[in-house]
Amino acid sequence: MCVLQETKFSKFTSFLFVLPYLVVFVAFLLIPLIFGAYISFHDWDLLSSTHKFVGFGNYAKLFDPSTYFHSVFMNGLWNTIKFVIFSVPILIVGGLLLALLVQHLPDKLKGIFRSIFFISYAISVSVIAVLWLWLLDTNSGLFNHLLAKLGAAPVQWLTSMPYAWISIVAATVWWTVGFNMIIYINALNEVPDELYEAGSVDGATPWQKFWSITLPSIRPVMVFTIVTSTIASFNIYGQPYLMTRGGPGTSTKVLLMEIVDQAFVQRQLGIASAMAIVMAIIMIVISIIQFRLTRNNEGNEA
Amino acid sequence: MRKPKKSLILIAVLLGILFLIPMVWMVATSFKTDTEALSSMSLFPKHFTFDNYVYTLFGQGLDVPILRWLFNSLFVGIGGSLLVVMIDAMAAYGLARLNVPFKKFLLPMFINTLMIPWVITFIPLYLQFGNMGWLNTYAALIFPYTANAFGVFLLYQFFRGFPKALEEAAVIDGANKWQVFIRIVLPSAKPMLWTLGIFTFMTIYNDFLWPLVSTNSIELRTITTGIAIMQQGSFVSSYGKLMALTTLATLPMLAIFLVGQRQFIKGITQTGIK
Repeated sequence: MCVLQETKFSKFTSFLFVLPYLVVFVAFLLIPLIFGAYISFHDWDLLSSTHKFVGFGNYAKLFDPSTYFHSVFMNGLWNTIKFVIFSVPILIVGGLLLALLVQHLPDKLKGIFRSIFFISYAISVSVIAVLWLWLLDTNSGLFNHLLAKLGAAPVQWLTSMPYAWISIVAATVWWTVGFNMIIYINALNEVPDELYEAGSVDGATPWQKFWSITLPSIRPVMVFTIVTSTIASFNIYGQPYLMTRGGPGTSTKVLLMEIVDQAFVQRQLGIASAMAIVMAIIMIVISIIQFRLTRNNEGNEA
Repeated sequence: MRKPKKSLILIAVLLGILFLIPMVWMVATSFKTDTEALSSMSLFPKHFTFDNYVYTLFGQGLDVPILRWLFNSLFVGIGGSLLVVMIDAMAAYGLARLNVPFKKFLLPMFINTLMIPWVITFIPLYLQFGNMGWLNTYAALIFPYTANAFGVFLLYQFFRGFPKALEEAAVIDGANKWQVFIRIVLPSAKPMLWTLGIFTFMTIYNDFLWPLVSTNSIELRTITTGIAIMQQGSFVSSYGKLMALTTLATLPMLAIFLVGQRQFIKGITQTGIK
């Protein structure tokens, strides 16, 4: 039975449902995408009205080791990758451990602790940064006061290495690990009880059950969190911008900070757009590799 | 089996304290005077004061409109969420149920853009908004968030799984598709619409880079970008005032979080995983 008739007028009124989204999609996503690529092929000074076409010139500069832009780009990219490598494993393993912990608590306590570990996710990045700046303040911050009580010397948390990275990673983990925990709690709830019962019948230890039942069951969810956490970490900006200003030196200046600097401080929109596009391509490639790797593993096991 | 449970609870409590300390410290500091904030490590203020809040919101000597910033954030957050929920629900329903021309082309185009990192778009968006004279307007703080296909994808999946019988009954009773959409479909999708609304509000309210780039008038700052200004400006070592400001900025999100946590969690777990 087809109750929705298909006249031309009907098609048109159906199209009206999609039209508002289509308009904003084209105006604020599709056009910027094409325009962004167009800008990256030009020598585009923000203050100048003429923009010279340079083809792949901006991209060539990024990969030519003798240019200033190359060193800026590589420094930012390398710092961003460092942050991804430091933060993602903690966000994944930490999120899973928190989920397992909450899962094994008595039912009455589950909800409370789930909220406690998740609630910091509601805070905005500038609040996170200002709050942690205060906690980590060399002279009057809580951390150094506690260290002093233990008899330890004060640490320059934000202006010396490796503490600047430790601080940024710690603040980020505290902020977002609860998000992964929530996803894992849900995934753990969906592992069928019969699997564990069968495991018990076979005399499996809790450790064996975890490795051979729990982990394989939640693998798709783990892939999802690895990909989303990697993307989120790649987009890091606010924490180093506000907490360390990219310092000490430029050792925590991440790629997004370099791009924003090139665009709005140096006003070189062409080179900044090229940097943004290369960054996006790297992110997409990494996501695809992460999906592929895990799919291959599944293939091998079957 | 009892013993391991007790040790687990102990671990959970210790970790819980660790997780709560930063926020408790923020609120505790906000009730201290600026001098006490710097000198005392006590959780409870010696001189409990609301002055930081009063000064932050209504301060006479203050040269920035913090109350306005809070209003801006709530306005663009709520306005943007309503807009997103409305246009995404329409598009998702159209694609899931109606005979929309070019459907086979539009749907994959929308969904494929979910893969594209937003970093590509903020520079061209800045130029576009500049050309339209829309920098430093509420439009700049709302419209870029409406293009995200996440909501269309979320609701499309929901509408696909929604039983057709109700809609067909309404059509037989003589309702046209707009009436069906407004009277039957939207009410049934309420939980999903709330989920999308909360997600969108959170994204807009907490966003940092785009509002920083697209506005420079002090009147049009959001609270999230305003905090950065205050931290580097007149509140630089006034930690009592700074913490009052961050507490104020966090309150709307906490309220939404406590009320809408279930919707929010549902939204997280229903997207992209399956």
